[in-house]
Amino acid sequence: MPAASPQHFLDQKGWQPFPFQEETWNAYLAGKSGLLHAPTGLGKTLAVYLGPLAETTGSHCQILWLTPLRALAADTLRALREPLVVLAPGCEAEARTGDTPAALRARLRKKLPHTLVTTPESLSLMLTHADFSDKLTGLRCVIVDEWHELLGTKRGVQTELCLARLRAWFPNLRIWGLSATLGNLTEARHALLGNAFAGSVEVTADMKKPIIIETLIPREIDRFPWSGHIGTKLASQVVWEIDKANVTLLFTNTRSQTEIWFQELSALRPDWKDKLAVHHGSLERAERDFAENGLRDGSLKCVVATSSLDLGVDFAPVDQVIQVGSPKGIARLLQRAGRSGHQPGSVSRIICVPTNALELVEFAAARDAALARHVESRKPLRQPLDLLVQHLVTCAIGSPFLPDEMRREIQSTHAFEFLTDAEWQWALGFISDGGRALAAYPRYQKARLIDGRYGVDDKRLITQHRLSIGTISSDPAVSIKLASGRVLGTVEESFISRIKPGGALVFAGRKLRLVRFHQRTATVKVVAKSDKGQIAIWGGAKMPLSSELSHAVARRLKGIGPPSPEMEAVAPILAIQKKWSRLPDDNSLLIEYARSKAEEHLFLFPFAGRIVHEGLAALLAFRISRKTGEAIITTQNDYGFSLSAKRGLVLDEELLRCNLSSENLLNDLIACMNTAELARRQFREIARISGLILQMPPGQKDRSQRELQSSASLLYEVLHRYDSENLLLLQSEREIMERQLELTRLTTVIHRLESAPMYLIETENLTPMAFPLWADRLNATLSPGDAATRLESMLIALNQAAG
Amino acid sequence: MIPFPYLKLLPEGAVFLTDSATLIVADVHLGKSAAFRARGLPVPEGDTARDLGRLLDLAKQNEASHLVIAGDLFHAPSGITPELEAALHRFLQQIEIPVTLVLGNHDLKLHKIIAELNPVPHLDLGEKFRVIHDPAGASGKRLHLSGHLHPVVKIPDGKRTSLRLRCFLFRNQTLILPAFGSFTGGAILSHFPDDRVFVSLRDQVVELPLELISLRKCH
Repeated sequence: MPAASPQHFLDQKGWQPFPFQEETWNAYLAGKSGLLHAPTGLGKTLAVYLGPLAETTGSHCQILWLTPLRALAADTLRALREPLVVLAPGCEAEARTGDTPAALRARLRKKLPHTLVTTPESLSLMLTHADFSDKLTGLRCVIVDEWHELLGTKRGVQTELCLARLRAWFPNLRIWGLSATLGNLTEARHALLGNAFAGSVEVTADMKKPIIIETLIPREIDRFPWSGHIGTKLASQVVWEIDKANVTLLFTNTRSQTEIWFQELSALRPDWKDKLAVHHGSLERAERDFAENGLRDGSLKCVVATSSLDLGVDFAPVDQVIQVGSPKGIARLLQRAGRSGHQPGSVSRIICVPTNALELVEFAAARDAALARHVESRKPLRQPLDLLVQHLVTCAIGSPFLPDEMRREIQSTHAFEFLTDAEWQWALGFISDGGRALAAYPRYQKARLIDGRYGVDDKRLITQHRLSIGTISSDPAVSIKLASGRVLGTVEESFISRIKPGGALVFAGRKLRLVRFHQRTATVKVVAKSDKGQIAIWGGAKMPLSSELSHAVARRLKGIGPPSPEMEAVAPILAIQKKWSRLPDDNSLLIEYARSKAEEHLFLFPFAGRIVHEGLAALLAFRISRKTGEAIITTQNDYGFSLSAKRGLVLDEELLRCNLSSENLLNDLIACMNTAELARRQFREIARISGLILQMPPGQKDRSQRELQSSASLLYEVLHRYDSENLLLLQSEREIMERQLELTRLTTVIHRLESAPMYLIETENLTPMAFPLWADRLNATLSPGDAATRLESMLIALNQAAG
Repeated sequence: MIPFPYLKLLPEGAVFLTDSATLIVADVHLGKSAAFRARGLPVPEGDTARDLGRLLDLAKQNEASHLVIAGDLFHAPSGITPELEAALHRFLQQIEIPVTLVLGNHDLKLHKIIAELNPVPHLDLGEKFRVIHDPAGASGKRLHLSGHLHPVVKIPDGKRTSLRLRCFLFRNQTLILPAFGSFTGGAILSHFPDDRVFVSLRDQVVELPLELISLRKCH
């Protein structure tokens, strides 16, 4: 049955298509692949779905819909089924994710629906079934939702590899991605489509939906912390704003902050008891559903959330978004603002709540950049070999492959287009018999080479591998359970193991006491509100300020930009900075020198984000102390970093320039950042993906499995010692350089600093910019040494304290 | 240090009884990487030869007259390859002293253990010492020398990082040895007030003040 045209569905609804929707249908129907760039809530689902839907023939599987979050699958299904019943009656849409009940999963194993909604992990898993390609016969289109979320992650590369497999099976397959605003949309499209990039199109639907970005200005700016402090000082003003709106989404940057703000709001407004909810990725499905349903039907007043609600289907009743603390990036601010104002004709409105004075500048700057749509780029990953070996085993299980054919397929992706012979041979060895390093791997056999094809036939290995797919980024998780058996959610093992039985914690908006922690379950009980005592709150990773936002902040400090209430409020503090020193910016380098009771301090402000500053601080400290022999303590934040030492810190331009030069950069960084130790930690993820660490099925206590447990750091040592050529070790080092040190950004910054003018200023007092760095030295890092040296110095320190 | 004369803790993670020249190690887990490979996990070989070599050196250096393994010399049946058997055979020839294997839970899974290893459930060394694999089986007045737990101590440096070191743990009349095998993990044990913890520091063994270990619990 040839289905009706997209227009038919819109006519029935009485809707007018947007130009970008028609553009997308036409491009699709002309046989093209592409990327649709659209903010949420503008009918982008219909834009990419109606084209392939219009071509429906029969009820077999024709459309795959990939979503980054399995939590989105249910909402997506709902949105897809609406046009499906109109345009292709009798056809089905179903979701196949980790959450899918076994019965439905079994049914889907027999026959796939017309439209299948799934995640990259589940798709990868399905590739291990021999008959999957047969079942997909007639597949016409793959749609990748929220591609910007996958881009730059290993799951994104997993998606690229799966798409390459599908393209090899169905050469006429059309692939469409949906993406929010990015600074590098063309590159994003290239990563999605690989060698099918040529001839593809980009459709833009950015209709410059009006966005209002406001800031809550603290009443007493001079009593407000300059930096660093993250508190709830403005909570009563926030309550007032929530009261005025219908439904508010309140975003914080970390999960611990969601818990803190939820407690604070509940305390200020006990009458909102049933109208407040909390939402973050670690909560159990039922808890998240409660919050999401409340947003959908408007029965809640406010939901406190982290990035877990950044994505997804829109909640029409939400008419206000509040952002607590700096969003750290422009794209994120836009994304969050876009979660409000979905009623026709309304605007997106976001209120920013500063947690320190300098964040006022960040908000003004973020607004400048957001309105100009100067957003961040996301760099696609290259050559993650752990994923390559995982994918090769996946393919070998599904159907034995010819190496040359497979190599062409792998190199058709953006991630592996530059794969070398050596890397390819190594990967084949790793998945089969150890390859050239055979001597180091006696009796190892995974994939077998039969008639020139690599295949896996050992049932146990197949099961093992299937379990390991889909665990790309999960840390060992511990369930938090009430004595009644109700599961509240999960936390990292490292967090819960810090709490002693009887200790208090806050989770899912409740104050809890740990009863016991056994295996992978922590049993807790709810305690009275008045219960005091130290509360353990676990947090997420701290994001560094993006380059784009740092640049916008520097512009604001230079006085560029329209008048704004934020800049007016922070003016007294900036005036002090200017009087005692000068305002830093990003085309020169301000260096302050100050002397406290026992120490000398240098403060440098390169405006490059916390991670780069950490690297720069370590580098400078390393180079100075190499000459002076003095121990140097470093601290850093998003604006700059500090060095403190008893003596030997000199405010001398020539010396500083020499120590900040790019000469011998990489070697010095490796020497000073303890990269070996960092790489060892990074190896955990790589070991899990590449199948070096076994994934235990939940709840299963297989004794023979326990014999195969090993820690990533132990494996790292063993590989280092007996197979130091193993490319996974190199990958670990590369990842540590990019992820933990942002090496590319750091190199750019160092080159900029080499030619930038320097302003050296000795100050009487610590300036407003310097103070937070100085105050942070309690959390400072001392340059690390080997284990014995560190232990010795700890023993000495202890003896001194005792004596 | 430990209230027993004639007992020396070696920085290699072994115990040496000076009166009888007995060398004691625990948890060698030979063939562990082979067991991994047998199940399709590409872990390189090297641990078995290296660990036997270290053990041999240690026995020679200390002029030991008796080697006692406090359990888990082997990891798993699937790790017992002909290469391992040959290496073990060579080792037993070269060491030239009697060897006693006090059976551990991993050893018990093996189908057979060669007679040269003199397998026993536990071993009394004079009136003072008893070697038994699992410290849970300790009883009586003797000082027990055990393994099984692979004790590791975590020492926070008060900053963001911490050291993780294999250690000897002395608790309830039992001295628990660190795992000797190079491809063995460890468990961070919770500490009790009367525990005494010893770690290797360069070429000696030092007792750790408990303040160092419990820093993190009193911030």
